[in-house]
Amino acid sequence: MSVFKLRRQAGRLSYKVAFVAILVLTFTACVQKEPPADLVIINGPEPESLDPALTTGQADGRIILSLFEGLTRYKADTALPEPGLAERWDISEDGRTYIFYLRTNAVWSAGEPIAAEDVVYSWRRILDPAIACEYSSLLFYIKNGEEFAIGKIKDPSLLGLRALDAQTVQVNLNNPTPFFLDICAYPTLCIVPRHAINKSGDRWLTAYPVPSSGAYELETWRLNDKIRVRKNPRYWDAANTRSSVVDLLPCLSASTALNLYETGQADIVWDKELAPTELIDILKKRPDFHGFDYLGTYFFRFNVTRKPFDDVRVRKALAMAIDKERIVGKITRAGEKVAHSLVPPGLPDYASPPGLEYDPAEARRLLAEAGFPGGNNFPLFHYLYNNTGRNHEQIAVELQEMWRRELGIHMELRKLEWKVYFRAQNMLDYDLCRSSWIGDYNDASTFLDVFLSNNGNNRTGWKNTQYDSLLRRANAQRDVAERAKLLQAAEKLLVRDEAPIVPVYIYAGFEYYDTNKIEGVFSNMRSEHPLRTIRKK
Amino acid sequence: MSEVRQVEHVHLSPNQRAWRRFKSNRIAAVSGALLIALVLIVMAGPILSRPTIRNYVPAALAQSPLALSDLQFGAPSGEHWLGTDVHGRDLLSRVLYGARISLLVGIVGAGVSLVIGVLWGALAGYLAGRWDSIMMRIVDILYTVPSIIFVILLISAWEAVLKDQMARAFSAEMVARARLIFLFVGLGAVSWLTMARIVRGEVLSLRTRNFIDASRALGASHARILFRHILPNVSGVIIVYLTLTVPSIVLHESFLSYLGLGIQPPQASLGSLIAEGAAQINPIRVYWWMIIPPCGFLAATLLALNFVGDGLRDAFDARLESR
Repeated sequence: MSVFKLRRQAGRLSYKVAFVAILVLTFTACVQKEPPADLVIINGPEPESLDPALTTGQADGRIILSLFEGLTRYKADTALPEPGLAERWDISEDGRTYIFYLRTNAVWSAGEPIAAEDVVYSWRRILDPAIACEYSSLLFYIKNGEEFAIGKIKDPSLLGLRALDAQTVQVNLNNPTPFFLDICAYPTLCIVPRHAINKSGDRWLTAYPVPSSGAYELETWRLNDKIRVRKNPRYWDAANTRSSVVDLLPCLSASTALNLYETGQADIVWDKELAPTELIDILKKRPDFHGFDYLGTYFFRFNVTRKPFDDVRVRKALAMAIDKERIVGKITRAGEKVAHSLVPPGLPDYASPPGLEYDPAEARRLLAEAGFPGGNNFPLFHYLYNNTGRNHEQIAVELQEMWRRELGIHMELRKLEWKVYFRAQNMLDYDLCRSSWIGDYNDASTFLDVFLSNNGNNRTGWKNTQYDSLLRRANAQRDVAERAKLLQAAEKLLVRDEAPIVPVYIYAGFEYYDTNKIEGVFSNMRSEHPLRTIRKK
Repeated sequence: MSEVRQVEHVHLSPNQRAWRRFKSNRIAAVSGALLIALVLIVMAGPILSRPTIRNYVPAALAQSPLALSDLQFGAPSGEHWLGTDVHGRDLLSRVLYGARISLLVGIVGAGVSLVIGVLWGALAGYLAGRWDSIMMRIVDILYTVPSIIFVILLISAWEAVLKDQMARAFSAEMVARARLIFLFVGLGAVSWLTMARIVRGEVLSLRTRNFIDASRALGASHARILFRHILPNVSGVIIVYLTLTVPSIVLHESFLSYLGLGIQPPQASLGSLIAEGAAQINPIRVYWWMIIPPCGFLAATLLALNFVGDGLRDAFDARLESR
């Protein structure tokens, strides 16, 4: 009897529990139902961070540029710099001194004015060794910038960076740097809210509301779900912000992105990894798919601090055993060009030197010379790639099979999530690792500077003093032809003689949006599309 | 009729009776035959691609699952019966290869769960009393752990550490198989709980039977009683749950591989093949041959295993005898 009673009670209890559960579910469903956004964009991988100083990914940068602005900003159509937080600037005769005049109507979204001290703070923060910004090299053009970043100089007042008054910033450069205004628009150099960072420390981006200096404010950031931004009414150019609520979705799979787009749940797909390569032959013919020349190179890095990749012959052997034609013809298929050197064609006054061509016989010879004839005794090694899109995995499988067939060596694949993948690269915890580099400004040095010994984006462990000095001389050189020669010598060292990296192909850009429904997106080599000008018709 | 059957039963051992009942269950018998056929097909793959044999079979049956070719996304044809994938690899051989790995993980995983589960359950049931309570509460606690998450944690936490050890102790190729071994152990280690409970229940009722008392009186050791007298009497139940564990482990493995946590490319299992096929589902063009064969194979295997398991359970269930 008692068991029966107990069961009956339990039954009644479970009814109550179920009832309450249903109520709770209904209400939470009500709460979570958000009004739809005016514009939905598929942005690429989940951002590593939205702190300008801490990210390097292009997808992260696009969101950052909607929240924060630099002294200059990108023009919507050409991605060339135009006045941003700085209303105007003076450049000295010798091209080494810049004086920026901030806008008087530039304010944080909370209402405080954006002062020259904020600029100095933001840029010093990038160079601060404690922050360890991987992109600090963008400010190595500033006087004493590099010395400060590597800790040689401790006193920040020695930097070529000074607030003359509340509205004026003076910048002294080492050399005349024709692309410095380009750099000023780059996400890393955006002006960040000093007061919020001082108050909340590392967690300033989770202390809502986050003060923003750009066209949008951060409304919500739900991991692996979406980032929602809302128009910042206090932005100096708010009158020209075209959409008021924008959702930026993280998405890793090209087929998911395409399905969302085709079913009308997303308006724009603009990440370079999210073109469904298997369908490119069909998609290319459609008017809403936009191809463009892209200033980016797909390559992989060797960790030269690990055996056997510390041996240049091994690196060269692996590089020469890759049939890159097959990879662009069979896997990527969007019209990419095979790359034997790092700098893509199309930059002014520069042509890359030849790199290592496909030559399996020579590759086998080099490998034998390094002590691994026929791949004998070659240790097992790993190839690291991130889980965005399927291309990386497919390319990895191709490389694996090519090396097994041509050189007789075995490689294991390791797929990692974006943030973990970046961490592994930074700590040099890998053997080989897939990478890409998108130019940050229209000059070959945006690619070549990456592999300077002290550059935070080097991530190969490769340090070469000859390379460093060639680039340093090139940056000081004012004669265009002489400068190109020095850069070419440096690039030859990088892709032919030392090969700490192996370029695979030059990206062909591919974005999809319907121009009948969306306006304000313009194709450009940098694939930069300021959010402020985009609008659904 | 019933009189005749009862006369027959007198001459048959319980296992023979069970076998007879199993045969008369048509779905189970057909599934059993299908299962045997699937296993034979799967095992034939590596034999057919041997150089001595490959000259005598159609070329389509002797393709390598790893060799790249120029024929990308080829539709099913005379040369590639199930078409090819993005790398131009033959899908028939890949499905067979994937099924081999899936079944291997299923069988070895079930074996691991068998050893742990039977030993744990038999010991708990035989010791009874306080030890039984303690051991069964441990099982209860483990039941609350979400098993798939547990396996994911196990694999990611130990893989890096143990791989280095293995690379030092064994050859490089051995490390490539490390993940398989992890899957075996990991999936087996979370699938023994039900087995332990069932065996423990059976043993608990058997240990008070007269024949056990008799052998104890004759001075048999505990180990002898457990292994010679008790376990043979629970073998029927064990076989039934073993056949039901295999499909659940196959499914777990496919799930892990679908998520990219199980088998690593270029190896394949049914789950990773399905994931590759699913990536091709879109409103514009579907390569159906990449998704239907692995899904069909997985569904057929799982259904057959479940039907066989059900049939065996009915066959061994003594209470159904009077029907």
